[in-house]
Amino acid sequence: MQNSFAAGATAQEAPKAITVNAMPAATWGWLKMNDAEAAVPAHLASAPNAARLEVEVNGKTVNPTRDADAFERALDSAAGRYALAQRLGAGDAAQQPSRQSATPEKELDATALSSYQSGALDLERTYTPARAFKTGMGHEGFGYLSEVSRGPHLIAAPAHASVCATLHVCGAPGAAAVGAVDVVASEGSNVSITIALDSPDEGEGIVGSAVRVLAGKGARVSIACIQTLADGYTALDDTGMFLAEGAQASVRHDVLGAGASFTGLSADLRGDESRATVNVNYLGARSQTRDFNYEITHRGRNTESNISANGVLAGESKKCLRGTIDLTHGCKGSQGTEHETVLLADERVRNKSVPVILCDEDEVAGNHGATIGHIRADQLLYLTCRGISEDAAEELFIRAKLEDAAIAAPSRAARAGIVRLGKRMFDDFEESLGEEIA
Amino acid sequence: MHSIETPGTAAIAAKPIETPGAAQAYTSLASPGAQNTALLDVRNLAASADDMQILHGVSLSIGKGETHVLMGPNGAGKSTLGRLIMGDPSYEQTAGSILFDGSDISELSPDKRSRAGLFLSFQAPVEIPGVPLLSFLRAAASGRFGQGLRGRKLRARIEELCDELDMDPAYLDRELGVGFSGGEKKKLEMLQLLLLAPKLAILDETDSGLDVDALGVVSRGIDAYRESCDGSLLIITHNTRILEHLKVDRVHVMVDGRIAAEGDASLIPWIDRNGFESFENASLSDPCCQAGDDINACPARTPSASASSLPAETR
Repeated sequence: MQNSFAAGATAQEAPKAITVNAMPAATWGWLKMNDAEAAVPAHLASAPNAARLEVEVNGKTVNPTRDADAFERALDSAAGRYALAQRLGAGDAAQQPSRQSATPEKELDATALSSYQSGALDLERTYTPARAFKTGMGHEGFGYLSEVSRGPHLIAAPAHASVCATLHVCGAPGAAAVGAVDVVASEGSNVSITIALDSPDEGEGIVGSAVRVLAGKGARVSIACIQTLADGYTALDDTGMFLAEGAQASVRHDVLGAGASFTGLSADLRGDESRATVNVNYLGARSQTRDFNYEITHRGRNTESNISANGVLAGESKKCLRGTIDLTHGCKGSQGTEHETVLLADERVRNKSVPVILCDEDEVAGNHGATIGHIRADQLLYLTCRGISEDAAEELFIRAKLEDAAIAAPSRAARAGIVRLGKRMFDDFEESLGEEIA
Repeated sequence: MHSIETPGTAAIAAKPIETPGAAQAYTSLASPGAQNTALLDVRNLAASADDMQILHGVSLSIGKGETHVLMGPNGAGKSTLGRLIMGDPSYEQTAGSILFDGSDISELSPDKRSRAGLFLSFQAPVEIPGVPLLSFLRAAASGRFGQGLRGRKLRARIEELCDELDMDPAYLDRELGVGFSGGEKKKLEMLQLLLLAPKLAILDETDSGLDVDALGVVSRGIDAYRESCDGSLLIITHNTRILEHLKVDRVHVMVDGRIAAEGDASLIPWIDRNGFESFENASLSDPCCQAGDDINACPARTPSASASSLPAETR
């Protein structure tokens, strides 16, 4: 029996809520920003052949394989290189036993720890990459996506190889379409992945991707995910990354469509001088909801992260973006920065920006900033003096976001999805883009 | 005969203009026939902002294809007049009317005035992050040219204008005004002027802060605009350099929210030599006499030769 989101769905098909995008260090519950609930219909059928993965290694097309355990094996093999003793200087090592054994129960002057702090100390004790590894949406979200995808494809980049891959996940009405990919990038390799979450047909369903990345020493991994789903769909986009020494990850998320969109990314900067850059572009219109959770955990020395988000909210859309930079014990010399710019193009939108900097180390830097606001009176005057009415100005911001994404789209499929989404909103979208798309 | 219509009154006779050619210009503007064909006809305009009166009974009329210059010292109300004509909601029109192309536009929003054919070039163009310049230009041009100039044709036209204005087309993909130098911003204003081809363009100190090269580009833009669509211009400035290569039909001098003097193009070099001090010192009397200059050398007259002949609003 085909599942659907329709009001007439049976009790068995009624959506269940899975908890996703939980912040690592929770804040007040009444703020309703610690996590999100994604409604997914129980027993929703997996769309057959919904995900298409194409891989080129050093310019030659290869058939992607499925090896569900390859990623775990790679993480386990990395464990030996990151023993706790190697991470700490003499002073730290001497201090370490008291850090881990002092609890309020044993010592009266010990600081009471939050559940997050207790968990962080626990991780310090074990410190295995596999235990620390997580994705941005968390276990429940990743578990759901893994189940629907029927196991991940493996992209294994040999040392110093260049790998280019595209994952196209195509939504199907009344079904769940998920593509799952594990990436094991060996030392010095260069991996580029483009993910397009698209729905050529209107309808209702789930479309998602689950990506795990292990970037070996000096590897470069770039991921661009462009989500252009119709409003009836829910998007679930989940990523987890582990970066060894000198590895660099660059992630771009373009969240442009879907009635409800959930995006999560967690990166473990385990190796010294590893670096993660995240660029997020989002658009909220009508009654769409957007939910993001970004966690960058600095564990290696001299690591660097940068989260940059830029969005436009119009209509009655709602958005929550959590960005956590966690400067853990031992990451001396590291720095993390996050910044968000949100343009509120309508009085009815609801925006939550939640930048969090956690710090358990000295000689580190954590920066955050946000620019949130409505269009200024002088900007609006300028637009109106060029014949652009207030309503047209709101449309301009939406359109500009789509046009910008179309021009920067990394693949033909992604670009086609953006144009399709644009045409759903503006009759002349494709024509107005003209040769940029040709 | 030099004849100027002053607020709320019939035309008042003033002293004859002795500058060769000036009388003809005055006659053509002041004649009843010219009044009827005026593209812009501002009558007895008064405006305030934050409960402070800024403009006091301003009247001026611009015919089709004419170039007028509005000069005056800082704070005289020149930009306010330009913005009021464009419909800036920061200012309240407290009296008078603005007729454009035969219709009273006083109640129209700025976007409707723009669509009607008015254009205001900003003294300090704004930056709008998140909006690529090309997207903005598309939105501004949308619906103006029917089906003829859209998509690729529009882009081609914009690139052609970039070339004409020595502007790198790469700017089209940048965010509107963000990171643009002062000169680049003014070039962008010129690009919009040429693209939208309005019936009347008000250029508010477009020349301010420009180096010689940028000034040349702006001048070329103005020339191209005049040639391409025979549009009318109201150039607001207190610098005479941008006017050197322009054929100016009429010069208005504004002081303290009032039109203190009017004349033909020969008033420009006179102001260049003498400045605005005479107008400021005696905005209701003959500026030439106050300045001690030769009266016959001054090509301007105040709207009235004596304060007593002016209506109360303008005294």
